[in-house]
Amino acid sequence: MNELISFANIVFTPFINLGAAPLMMVVLTLVAMLVGVKFSKALEGGIKLAIALTGIGAIIGILTGAFAVALQAFVKSTGISLTITDVGWAPLATITWGSPYTLYFLLVMVIVNLVMLALKKTDTLDVDIFDIWHLSIVGLFCIFSGANLFVATVLVIFIGVLKIINSDLMKPTFNDLLNAPDTNPMTTTHMNYMMNPIIMVMNNIYDVLFFWLDKYDFDAAELNKKIGFWGSKFAIGVYLGVFIGLLAHQDVKSICGLAFTAGVCLQLFSLIGSWFIAAVEPLSQGITDFANKRLNGRVFNIGLDWPFIAGRAEMWAAANVLAPIMLLEALVLPGNGLLPLGGIIAMGVTPALLIVTRARVIRMIVIGAFELPVFLWSGTLIAPFVTATAKAVGAFPTGISATTLISHTTMEGPVEKFLAFFVGNAAKGDIQYIMYAVIALVVYFGLFVWYAKKMKKRNAIYAAAKATKN
Amino acid sequence: MIKILTACGAGVNSSHQIKDALEKEMSNRGYDVQCEAVMVKDVNDEMLSKYDIFAPIAQTDAAKNTNMPIVDCGPILYRIPAMAVPVYDAMEAAIKKLKK
Repeated sequence: MNELISFANIVFTPFINLGAAPLMMVVLTLVAMLVGVKFSKALEGGIKLAIALTGIGAIIGILTGAFAVALQAFVKSTGISLTITDVGWAPLATITWGSPYTLYFLLVMVIVNLVMLALKKTDTLDVDIFDIWHLSIVGLFCIFSGANLFVATVLVIFIGVLKIINSDLMKPTFNDLLNAPDTNPMTTTHMNYMMNPIIMVMNNIYDVLFFWLDKYDFDAAELNKKIGFWGSKFAIGVYLGVFIGLLAHQDVKSICGLAFTAGVCLQLFSLIGSWFIAAVEPLSQGITDFANKRLNGRVFNIGLDWPFIAGRAEMWAAANVLAPIMLLEALVLPGNGLLPLGGIIAMGVTPALLIVTRARVIRMIVIGAFELPVFLWSGTLIAPFVTATAKAVGAFPTGISATTLISHTTMEGPVEKFLAFFVGNAAKGDIQYIMYAVIALVVYFGLFVWYAKKMKKRNAIYAAAKATKN
Repeated sequence: MIKILTACGAGVNSSHQIKDALEKEMSNRGYDVQCEAVMVKDVNDEMLSKYDIFAPIAQTDAAKNTNMPIVDCGPILYRIPAMAVPVYDAMEAAIKKLKK
């Protein structure tokens, strides 16, 4: 055994020493070839991942470099301690894909999905390979918090199975919101919809306390039109730069510098995001082909990334209105360390609100305002982990102060981060955390079961309405 | 040159899959097309007016006032080639109607 390990060390150590970008280039290329992708296509994906990792590191460097001093001054002049830079989704996704564990969790979930299909526990084949990073980050954070790989894997499978079941539960609602026939196979296992149970609790409370607000629902498309370019990435960068600069008492020149630097970085983050999504593309197709071959032409729903629902104007109207609300909440929320920037347009929050409330936009905004603190706390909780992982994969600039932290304000799956934290710490044998973990898992699962019942009722009503129509 | 606009949540994942697939398949069928992928949030009448065809994933509120041809491209995302063929056919029909 020892010989085997030392042999593996001799073979792999030189690769690992090359750093994350070259390592992942090799690993992604090999894995894509394993699922049947041609060498040139596989290598194309591998190289794109390497340049995306390198690029995202460079932009994080520009952003944190420009804002580190201003954020310190901001803390001094306002007394508000928000020192974690909100870099938004793209850097977190890239960093997570920079870890070989993500490919491991992907493999585990492909097998789980195929087994669930074979056992007829789901009708969904998940082809949204790229978004495995949402689960992977939970697993990685669990390990970071003290768990071993086995415990982290069990947690990932537990949440992963619920995610797949949720895609079946939501299917009729998607058809309703899209005006699509039953033959439409679009659904999603996206992590943001795992907030549905909590949103449904809030929705029930809303029914009692705020039902009178529903009559003020407005035309969401009209609001979005009025907001125009002010909701675009570069504009958000610019005015948040001005906001921070002003409160940090910077001079005009520095404020302009902050504003335009933030604008550049927010534009470039999503551009680089597109590179690395393209990087995973050959692998995604390879895995889908592989799975399809084993399903013998069975008809199933197809799990996509969430935005097939993004055509609904309500989710953007809610995101637009929630942005300034989140900024205000961030300033006064105890225990929050994040100043919203890259994640301020809450794409990881509003799709779930759309599904549970079925596009009642005032409800989405009110419930959203109440659930946003969970996202801010979760983002604060994972900041040391995100920063450490960014450093480990070489996507964090050297020369930045060691205390500088990065994270994401509206990362999907905030509750799951807390689960990972409790489970990770419990795995170290701490009795207190074992209790927390058990309570958290029981409540999480219990809420999901309750939510599933409510959704089944909703789906029965959809089915009955269709039956009477026919 | 036919200009196609597609859109998704962040303008980087689903819409890029559609863009790449449309550009590849339409060029195979002998059409000169250029497809751009954006955030659906940024789609408005002014932006749509600069394109010949709109190719969203599914029904899109921002495009409800336009008269331009709209081809729903969701099935391209299923990654099952046979299911994408009707989309390509509809896109080809829309291009032919433009008489460019």
